[in-house]
Amino acid sequence: MHDTLPRPRVLLTKSFIDSHDRAIETIALALRDAAMEVVLIDYEQPEDVVTVALQEDVDVIGISFMSGGQVETTQKIVAELERRNLSDLPIVVGGIIRPFDEPPLREAGVANIFRGGAPLSDVVATFAALSRSYRGIA
Amino acid sequence: MTGTRHLMTPAALLERARAGDPLALARAITEIENGSLAGVELGLAVQEQAARTATLGVTGPPGAGKSSLINALIGELLPRFARIGVLTVDPSSPVSGGAVLGDRVRMAAHSANPCVFIRSLAARGHLGGVTRTTRKVIDLLAVSGMELVIVETVGTGQSEVEVADLTDVKLMVCAPGMGDEMQAIKAGVLEVADLLVVNKADLPDADRTADFLRAMLMHRGDAEHRIALKVSTLRREGLTELAGAICARLEQAGSPRHGALGTGNSQAALARDTAELVMAIISETADPAIIGLAADLAGGTIPRRDAARMAIGLLARDAECTSLASDK
Repeated sequence: MHDTLPRPRVLLTKSFIDSHDRAIETIALALRDAAMEVVLIDYEQPEDVVTVALQEDVDVIGISFMSGGQVETTQKIVAELERRNLSDLPIVVGGIIRPFDEPPLREAGVANIFRGGAPLSDVVATFAALSRSYRGIA
Repeated sequence: MTGTRHLMTPAALLERARAGDPLALARAITEIENGSLAGVELGLAVQEQAARTATLGVTGPPGAGKSSLINALIGELLPRFARIGVLTVDPSSPVSGGAVLGDRVRMAAHSANPCVFIRSLAARGHLGGVTRTTRKVIDLLAVSGMELVIVETVGTGQSEVEVADLTDVKLMVCAPGMGDEMQAIKAGVLEVADLLVVNKADLPDADRTADFLRAMLMHRGDAEHRIALKVSTLRREGLTELAGAICARLEQAGSPRHGALGTGNSQAALARDTAELVMAIISETADPAIIGLAADLAGGTIPRRDAARMAIGLLARDAECTSLASDK
């Protein structure tokens, strides 16, 4: 095993009061199996996500929503990314995303949305592509 | 930031990290872990500067409660240390090379605190409980103003003792029911720990486990100054005592680290530094002569020994490589 090969670094997160962890763990395992380094946290405040993304030097943030707050939380995270000069760090949103959530999420700049039933291979390919472009690898 | 990511020189990254920019610090760690040319140069620079920082190693088997205990200890230790850095190591997959870094899930209480910098590291196949470059990352954190650096190892068995060489004070965290006295007197990680902690003292077997450890310490006679402590992170019991014991030992350990190399090992150190630098330069070079040499090697048209010597010759001849290294 090559121990200096740069690996995609990804942050997967959900709210600490959302106990639905099966989806986020499924995605974490799929990304791990695709040779990515996956940091997991349950955020207390949306702004915490940005602090952690910064310290962990990740290339993509994936946010899981299985209850509420889809739009408001994402907007707060995007605003904090902008405030800390990280506005081009891509965000992927997944879980229970209702049809009327989609336009404001897209407007906030979310790179991709995955709902239940999305093929894992699509999810993995999306994270891999976003990581490459964020790092400036063709 | 994307565009500047690769344009920033190691010197600029280091300067910004020293000035307290967490993004620069985070990227410098990534470069060091990846063994890039920038990372190798950063590693050499921070080792030379070798700022003094207190270091605490936390080791123990998977699920003993190391991350939760560190989360609680950060709260106890923050009044004493203005800024705390935490490195948490988790294993990389031997199959894919990926990793799930789940330690800081337990440290959410400190996510928003600017005085705490937490970084998850993947072991990337390095055995010994830490990563290949943990020492350099500790030095980088020290240079960036951390007064205490806590290193959490991967979940360890009996012989992952590398953290002992990296940290001043070592904590061994056990869960109740780790085994009997025979396990406690075996050689290995229990020998290099300064403080033996039985965590989850709210569970039934904690007293017995603590007794086995204390019996082991007793067998060693009057020369033994280490202690075994019971802690319940869940109930927040024993944490103040543990923090006090850690601070007392950190003060005892307080001999300054030296950036300068002793005369005895300077040749070995030069060899090691040169090897790392050469590896990074050859991996990243766009020099057609070296790329051609690699192609010849792949085609089997040149012996490996000759190819390596020729590569060294090319580097020595190529003034640009030398200036490339010194400019950054």
